[in-house]
Amino acid sequence: MILVNYVVAAVVFSLGVYTILTRRNLLKIVMGLSLMESAGYVLLISMAYRRGSTAPVLLKPPPGETERSLARGNVADPVLQNIALTAVVIGVAVTAVLLTTVVRVAQHYRSLDADDVRGLRG
Amino acid sequence: MSLTGDAALLPVAVVAPITGAVLAPVLGRLSGRLALACSLVAMAVSALVLVSVAGTTYGGRVVVEHIGNWRPVHGTQLGVTFAADPFGLTFALLAAVIGAVLLLFTASELGDLGGRELGGFASLMQLLLAALIASGLTADILNLFVWFEVAALASYGLTAFFLERPIALEAAFKTMVLTNMAAFYVFVAIAVTYAGHGALNVGQVRAALGADPRSADLVALGLVVAGFGTKAGLVPFHGWLPDAHTAAPGPVSALFSGLMVNLGVLGIARFVTVTHALHRGQVMVLLTVVGGLSAVVGALMALVQDDLKRLLAYDTVSQMGVLVAALGVGTPESLTGMVYQLVNHALFKTLLFLCAGAIVHATGMTRLSEMGGLARHRPLVTVAFVVGVAAISGVPPMNGYVSLGLIHHAVETGHPVLLVALTLAQVVTVAALARATYLAFFRRRDDDYDRIEKPSVGMVVSFAVLAGGCVAFGALPGLVLDHLARPAASSLTAGGAYARAVLHYGGRLPLPEATFVYLDPMQLLVIGGTILPGLLLAARVVRHPGPRLMRPLQALHTGGVNDYATYAVLGAVVCVFGLVLT
Repeated sequence: MILVNYVVAAVVFSLGVYTILTRRNLLKIVMGLSLMESAGYVLLISMAYRRGSTAPVLLKPPPGETERSLARGNVADPVLQNIALTAVVIGVAVTAVLLTTVVRVAQHYRSLDADDVRGLRG
Repeated sequence: MSLTGDAALLPVAVVAPITGAVLAPVLGRLSGRLALACSLVAMAVSALVLVSVAGTTYGGRVVVEHIGNWRPVHGTQLGVTFAADPFGLTFALLAAVIGAVLLLFTASELGDLGGRELGGFASLMQLLLAALIASGLTADILNLFVWFEVAALASYGLTAFFLERPIALEAAFKTMVLTNMAAFYVFVAIAVTYAGHGALNVGQVRAALGADPRSADLVALGLVVAGFGTKAGLVPFHGWLPDAHTAAPGPVSALFSGLMVNLGVLGIARFVTVTHALHRGQVMVLLTVVGGLSAVVGALMALVQDDLKRLLAYDTVSQMGVLVAALGVGTPESLTGMVYQLVNHALFKTLLFLCAGAIVHATGMTRLSEMGGLARHRPLVTVAFVVGVAAISGVPPMNGYVSLGLIHHAVETGHPVLLVALTLAQVVTVAALARATYLAFFRRRDDDYDRIEKPSVGMVVSFAVLAGGCVAFGALPGLVLDHLARPAASSLTAGGAYARAVLHYGGRLPLPEATFVYLDPMQLLVIGGTILPGLLLAARVVRHPGPRLMRPLQALHTGGVNDYATYAVLGAVVCVFGLVLT
C-alpha cells in the first residue's frame, strides 16, 4: 500500500465533489464529475498494488523470474486494473454525452449558468 | 444434466434485444414501423426464452449458465455467470413483457415520427430493456454494474429524446449528474469488495464475507444503498426522477417508472440479502428509514403537483419508498409483499403513465389545471386511469389490495414508526391520485377542446393488457402467491441457498411462508380507513390549492442541479457513516 496514492485519490475526489456542489457553470460540473471518476481510477490502481509487485504481464518475465513464478507470486491484481479500464471507457462515453447536452443547453438557453436552467422545480 | 439445455439459452434473452437495438436504426431508414416491428419480435424472442426456464425456476431451482463455459473451480469463478432465480426472472419477465407493450404503444402514439427518429427511439428502448433483463439474470456484481451503466446511458438518450424541448435538456443534465454520481458509488463499492475478498461472483462474495464484517464492507454496503437508491429515486437521491419523467415522452416515462427504477430495488435487494446478508441489522434499519422517508415525501410532493406526469413521478418515489421499507423489514411476509408490490407497481404505474401519454397525444395538454371533463370525451382512457388509481389505492379486487395488505400486516408487529409513516403515505397517495382523477376527468370544463384525437388500436390493446393484469393479479391472490410472489421472495429469504446454487448448479430454494386472507375484516377496515381520509384530503386540496404547510418542502425542490447533488451527497454520507459508526 502506497499511502500517498490514497491521499491523492481522496483529495481529487473531494475536489470533484466540491466542484459539483458549488460551481454553477455546467461545464465545471462536468469537470467535477470527471475529477470524481479520476479519483476512482487512482483508488483502483492503488488497491491493485501489492508490496514490491510488478506489472501483471506474464510475457518476457524480468531477470530471475519465470512465467510460473510470476503467475503465482508478486504481481499487481490484474482484475482491478481491468475494472479501472472498463470505468475509463464508460467515463469517456458518459462525458461525451454530458458535453453534448451542455452544448445543446448553451444553444437553447444562451447560458451555462445552472441557475438559468431550472424551469422544472417544486 | 437436463437443465443445461435450457440454461444455454439464457444469454439469448439479452442478446435478442441488443440485436434488435442494432437493427432498429438501420431498418428505421426504410420505415419507422419496420423498426418497431423488428423490436417487437426481439422482445418476443426474449420473453419466450425467459418463459422457457420459468417452469424450472418458479419450481424452486436456479437455472445457471456460466458464460463461455468458464466453470467455477473449487468455489472460485472467474467468468460471468447468468443465473435465473425466481426474483431476477420475475424482474426480467416484467421488463420483456411490459417492454413489448410499451413498444406497441409507441407505434400508436409516436408512429407519425420520422423513420430515423423511430429507429433511434426503438434502439434506445431496447438497450434499456436488455440492460434490465440482464441485471435480473446476472449473478456477478461487476456485471451488474456494467448493466447499470448501460441502462443509465440509454436512459440519458431517452430523457433528452425531444432535443428541441429545453426542459428535456435540463432534465437530461440533472439525471446525468445524479446517476453518474450513483454509478461512481456502486463502482467504488464493487472495487472495494473485490479488493477485500477477491470475489465478484455473488456466491463467492457471500462465502468470502464470513461472519465478521470489516468496516470496508460496510462502506461498500452504504455506497451500494446510496448508488442504487439514486436509481430507485429514493429521498434524498430523487432530484432527477420527477424532472426526467416530466420531460420524456409518455412510453418513456412509463418505462422509467414501471421498470427502470426497480433496478435500484433489485440492486439493493441483491446486496442486502445475498452477498452482504451477514450484517443485516443496521442496514435493515437504514432501509426502513430511507424507505419510510421516501414514501412520505414522495406522496406529499405528489399532492401539490399541477403537471400530471410529474405527479405520477412523485408517486413513484413514494412507491419505491414502500418497496425499500418492506425490504428493510425483512420478514418472509414483508418480502413476499414487496415482490408482489413490485410486480403490481410495474403494471399500474405503466398503465397510468400511458394514460397520461394518451391524454397528451389527444389534447396536447400536460397540466391538470388546463384539463377537465375528459371522462365525457375519452371514456376509455378514463376507465384505464381509474383502474390504475384504484389499484394503487388498494381497492379490492385490484392488485394493490393484496400487496399492500401483506406489507401492512408485516409492518404491524415491531415497526410502529414505519407503520405510521406508511399509513400516512398511503392516505396522501390516495388524496393525490383522487385529486388528479377529479381535475382531469370529472371536473366540469365549459369550453370545448380545440382538437381531440381518436385512440388507436395499439393504445387500446396496451390499456387492456395492463388493466387486465391489475385486475387478474388482485382477483387471484392465491395463484399469484403460490406460483409467483412466494417463489420470487424465496431468492431473498433464502439468499444463501441462491448464492450456493450459483456456484454449485442448483439446490432448491425453500418457499417462505406468507398467507393472505382475502376478506379479512381488519384488512378491509384499514383500506377503508386510508381511502376515506384520502378522499377528504383530496377534496380539501382541490378547494384550497397550494396548502401552506407544503411550501417549505416545495421550496427545497429548487430545481438547481447543485442543490440536488448536495442532497444526494449528504444522503450518501449518512448511509456510509450510519453503517460504519453504529
